[in-house]
Amino acid sequence: MRPVTEQLERWLAAGGREIGEIAITRDEAGFELRHRADQGRTDLATHTGAEAARHLANADDAGKFRPLKTAPTLRRGWTLRVADGGELRRALDYFYPAMSGVWAAHERGELRPVPLRETLARQTGMYRVTQLITDEQAQELVGRACRSEDGCLKHILWELAPGQPITTLSPEKLQAPPTTAALPLLCHEACNLLVAEARSVVKKAQKPA
Amino acid sequence: MLSRKPSSALIIVGHGSTVNPDSSAPTFDHAEEIARRGLFREVYCAFWKEEPSLRQVLHMVEADDIYVVPNFISEGYFTRTVIPRELELAGTITELGGRSIKYCEPVGNHAQMTDLLLRRAQQIAPGVPPAETSLFIVGHGTNLNDNSAVAAKREVERLAALGLYGEVLSAYMEEEPLISKWDEYSKCPNVVVVPFFISDGLHSYEDIPVLLGIADESPGAASASGASVFQRNPYLLRGRTLFYASAIGTEPLFAELILEHVADFDARHGALAAS
Repeated sequence: MRPVTEQLERWLAAGGREIGEIAITRDEAGFELRHRADQGRTDLATHTGAEAARHLANADDAGKFRPLKTAPTLRRGWTLRVADGGELRRALDYFYPAMSGVWAAHERGELRPVPLRETLARQTGMYRVTQLITDEQAQELVGRACRSEDGCLKHILWELAPGQPITTLSPEKLQAPPTTAALPLLCHEACNLLVAEARSVVKKAQKPA
Repeated sequence: MLSRKPSSALIIVGHGSTVNPDSSAPTFDHAEEIARRGLFREVYCAFWKEEPSLRQVLHMVEADDIYVVPNFISEGYFTRTVIPRELELAGTITELGGRSIKYCEPVGNHAQMTDLLLRRAQQIAPGVPPAETSLFIVGHGTNLNDNSAVAAKREVERLAALGLYGEVLSAYMEEEPLISKWDEYSKCPNVVVVPFFISDGLHSYEDIPVLLGIADESPGAASASGASVFQRNPYLLRGRTLFYASAIGTEPLFAELILEHVADFDARHGALAAS
């Protein structure tokens, strides 16, 4: 058994109140979640139950689909009420899929970061070509696609290859911050979006000028 | 019928999409329905193109006994290559870090699929006599290492053997028999078309309607607004009355097929896999 929900509840009991763009407050009825930028507002649409989180997380303020849930584009204008720690976890699994589980594995010392080269070496089919990306292209891509400002809020734990760190992002972005009132969002392996981007980079470079 | 599995987790694996939320929606819907019934300790989704990814999902699971059901229409590249590779499966049962991971068959493989297709066909054309109706099951065709065309053909044979419909035909978007020639291949006055896909999206909202002649090509990406194509039945064209259904994978009873696959797994692997 992996005690993911229990770990999350321990974090909450110790004063946990923030994950990604979400602020969590605890009261006698359970928990209330809202966008951190909406703190203090009283004109928010109220939702109840973990399953509402799926639809709140699906599109940004402009109505655009968010395939990457840790992109800094969570919509505003809502609150979500959940009853207990278990339901809070289910809501977070919609807002930030797998992030409580990945964090919990990291806390238990069981999270193995996978170097980008290993991820790419595993690809078959249309993504096999990503193995041709150069170190320089990969560094540029990660620096552009994964940056927190407009890419992804996760902290990257993987290297380009063993002993070959990412050089195009800040040192803070490339390590797991200590768990405080904010639950860290951790990336232990490049996502399919990045792999798909790597394919575009390789394909573009292959095209004759 | 699946008995309760209070110590087990279920992971339903879908393809997902980076452009269209409708691709993963049925997988999430089926997971919510199954979770609501409380049969499993935990229920999760995982996706190739969305989150949680296949590389993340096992970190979410607390239980040591885990069933994985691919929400795919047929066996193929994803069920045989991508999912096992990404989940690091060694076979049907994988012992990994003190856990048993049980890899079930893709949802579309189930014998009850035929019943769901029949149900969808009857729902879309209520009161229309099946004996005077040509039923088309539409697959993609020409996909990389994809057996969806084979599966579509198998379903057509099973549906035809029931003898309910005037005729039952398979057709494809990209290979013969082409769905665009539906009026040439069929002979009944009524025509029912059911897309043999796991979710709605570009193919069911736009590509197939354009090939059928019931929609114009739109310049933008297909979206949920494309669902209106299912609400304008029947279409009177080419001298026939045509009814067009949404993708079979949106059928709520798919949740039953997922549970059936878990029950089948237990029946097949018995005590060896029982936790």
